[in-house]
Amino acid sequence: MILRLKSLGMAGYLLLLYGFIFLPVATLVLFSFQEGRFPIPPFNGPSLKWYQAVFSDHKLTSALTNSLLVALISSAFACVLGFMAAYGFARYRLPGAAAIKATISAPLTVSYLIIGFGLLVSFNLIGVSRSLFTVGIGHVVINTPLCFAIIYASMGDHQLNIERAARDLGAKDWQVMLRVTAPMLMPSIIAAYFLSVTFSWDEFIIAFLLSRFDVTLPVEIWSLLRSGLNPKTNAVGSVVFLISVVIVLLLEFTIFRRGALRDRQS
Amino acid sequence: MKKTTLTSAISLAIALSTNTGYAQEEINALVWCDHTDPEFIQPFEQANNVKVNLKDYEGTGTALSIIEQSQPGDWDVFVVDGVDVPRVVEAGLLAPLAEDSLPLTDLFAEIVMAENHVIDGKTYAITEKFGYNTLSFNKNNVDPEDMKDLSVMWSEKYKGKIALYDYYLPMIGLVAISLGIDTANIQESDLPAIKEKLFAMKAAAKQVGEVVSSQTAIATGEVDILVGGGEWVTAGLTAELPHLDWIIPDQGAVRWSQSVGVFADSKKPDLALKFVQYILSPEGQARLATSSCYWAMPANSKAGDHLSDQQKTALRWNDQKGYLANSQLYPVPSAELDAKMQDIWTEFLQQ
Amino acid sequence: MAASVALRCKGWAFVAPALLWTLAFFVIPFLVMVMYSLWQRTGTTIVKTWNLDNYASFFEKSHFLAGLSNSLEITLLVTVISIVLAYPLAWIIAERVPHRWQRLALLLAILPFWTSYVVRSYAWLLVLSRNGYLNQSLLGLGIIDTPLEIASTRIATVTGFVHFFVMLLTLTIYANLVQLSPNYRRAAADLGASGLQTFWHVILPLTIPGVMVGAFLTFVLCIGDYITPQILGGNNELVLPQIIMLQITRRADFPTAAALSIILMAVITIAYILCARWLKMERT
Repeated sequence: MILRLKSLGMAGYLLLLYGFIFLPVATLVLFSFQEGRFPIPPFNGPSLKWYQAVFSDHKLTSALTNSLLVALISSAFACVLGFMAAYGFARYRLPGAAAIKATISAPLTVSYLIIGFGLLVSFNLIGVSRSLFTVGIGHVVINTPLCFAIIYASMGDHQLNIERAARDLGAKDWQVMLRVTAPMLMPSIIAAYFLSVTFSWDEFIIAFLLSRFDVTLPVEIWSLLRSGLNPKTNAVGSVVFLISVVIVLLLEFTIFRRGALRDRQS
Repeated sequence: MKKTTLTSAISLAIALSTNTGYAQEEINALVWCDHTDPEFIQPFEQANNVKVNLKDYEGTGTALSIIEQSQPGDWDVFVVDGVDVPRVVEAGLLAPLAEDSLPLTDLFAEIVMAENHVIDGKTYAITEKFGYNTLSFNKNNVDPEDMKDLSVMWSEKYKGKIALYDYYLPMIGLVAISLGIDTANIQESDLPAIKEKLFAMKAAAKQVGEVVSSQTAIATGEVDILVGGGEWVTAGLTAELPHLDWIIPDQGAVRWSQSVGVFADSKKPDLALKFVQYILSPEGQARLATSSCYWAMPANSKAGDHLSDQQKTALRWNDQKGYLANSQLYPVPSAELDAKMQDIWTEFLQQ
Repeated sequence: MAASVALRCKGWAFVAPALLWTLAFFVIPFLVMVMYSLWQRTGTTIVKTWNLDNYASFFEKSHFLAGLSNSLEITLLVTVISIVLAYPLAWIIAERVPHRWQRLALLLAILPFWTSYVVRSYAWLLVLSRNGYLNQSLLGLGIIDTPLEIASTRIATVTGFVHFFVMLLTLTIYANLVQLSPNYRRAAADLGASGLQTFWHVILPLTIPGVMVGAFLTFVLCIGDYITPQILGGNNELVLPQIIMLQITRRADFPTAAALSIILMAVITIAYILCARWLKMERT
């Protein structure tokens, strides 16, 4: 009896908390189909006109493309930098390693506002104009320590033997890194990459401070928001949500399934 | 293999992000949000095969901040409050305009404001639009008679139903008028009294927001009164929401006007001037007057030929004479007084 | 000897890119910011005389101090509430949800956060505003008579934050819980402890490090956040990031903004020192 109550209580708690977590998104998606001009109750019949408005809004679609570009490219950069640094620390004994590690990891503890602001005043001082390029630089700064941490944490001694074997067979160092180590660490590298893409794709404050006319999606949505409560914003949010869900499902059924299969085989 | 794909991806990115592809001229304009309406911009873009990049701001301080964060040549056209033109010219930001290129004689006489725009005999900017910061309200939920007295701004009667416009200059101006002080004569010694009233207003208010969040608040019924509102809030919405109205109280209100000019270090001065001329043309003026962000009176009286009767009524076209007489301009404080005002405003936001 | 030097050079070659990038685009901008914080802005120019006036004025101006206290209050409130709500959720998922459904449960918890952060905060505004979803439902059910004034208040800001950080803390606490060896529980059971005693005396203390890591992350992310307070706070009770942004966007007052940023960093550093013993970065 008590067990039943406990289970009920736990189920209830789960329901409550999941409800809380889904509440804003549910409202968002629901009112993206709103007929009227403002996305507030009462809900008037489903209408696709706001989705139409989103896709015919040239500024929104180019902001979406910009976001993708910046996210994919800056994350690739960050991954490469982080991977190389992780490799360097894991395989070689360097003087002052702790201090260098701390320096590379430092951006993790600093608010994005401060990182963006620092870059803003610095670029201003040397006369570099703001653009998507500067936004990309900012995003590499915030994502490199992340990639470094994730990949470094997964580099263990068990990979050393394979690398030694490769070197014994005559491979040069960079070949070992590219052809042996990288494939072994693929899960962490991919995890780091996708995490960086997520952070960059959704990042607002650095993009806001460091861009001018070509903006990323969060900045464009922010401008939309300042144009008042508008179901168009709901539609954009729902579209972003849908894209993300699809990507996650893809990931789940390709990468993780493959991983699970491999585990089952080994 | 990884490296080559990376390099090609980067070059593609740079190519995509720097240019839209078609060899078009571009000009960059720093403007208030009413210029971002596609219906206003597209006729000019199509007629001149030009792309107009627009960045909008919520207050002159922000505009100047944006200019400071930019490099010379980054901007071509500047839309700025009329009262701020003198200091912008003093900072060397604007280029002189040839008087015969502008329809100065077609403007309403009271808003030509030559003393702001003509410095050392040269004209640097021209008024393009004007309106009022006063009280907007929901006719269904408030007593219109109460709106005739500025002290409703801090009244207990409508506590929690008031939104305040987040721009310190006209708001401090309104408070000064309610205390019987002319906006042109605000002294540092007046600040404590103004601060006291501001805090009282904050206590009675629900929210503080800029142009469109203020519009939204009153449009969705979140609040019933918008202090600092005016026709620019309600005129565009009256077609859908006829219960919204605005009035100039007996004590008076604050008048705003925005002017347009060309940047001194613009790399496309001819195109910039063409844009200015489009804005001042009767058709351009009519579109600007009814543009989506906020409606207001156009400076060019000939624009009346291109406005419908409903639009003119929403703008109170025929009442303008009286309104112009009973309104005062924004305060134009010295740098130190301005810093003190901004401090008071930040404190006010913190309440 | 030469071999080890050659080895070291190779090591440096791998580490150098990341290090140089961090130095160029993080350390130097930070130093530039420190430099700005020691300058003054008068009128439209920046006076480059070194002084600590900006820092002094921070302690003198009530609205700056209020910004810091608002930040601290909101952040601590959010951290505590999020931990209290997240721990049971993490525990239920780790201990009571069948194994094959656990990853799905976590995925479901993360899913809503795949919308844009800006849009998510805005969605809360929709839910909490006077004519919004929450009020309309409560009014319709007859639970309240007049709409609750939640939007544009501190409660809205806290709600928006807690929404995100509950998810974050659930993840970190869950990760910690599943790593615990079942031997602890077996040993406690062998010694005669009940479920509750096992939890209180064994599991809970073992998960404190995970909780502290999550709490620190929450603290750092919350105190430095601009979007949620700006959208949900209604410009009431500004927090420090909002004040910093005001200085940047409205007044181009880089010196003051820089000084305030450094103060924000100092607060985060203090928090780091307090949590230091739980936050070590090590390889497994």
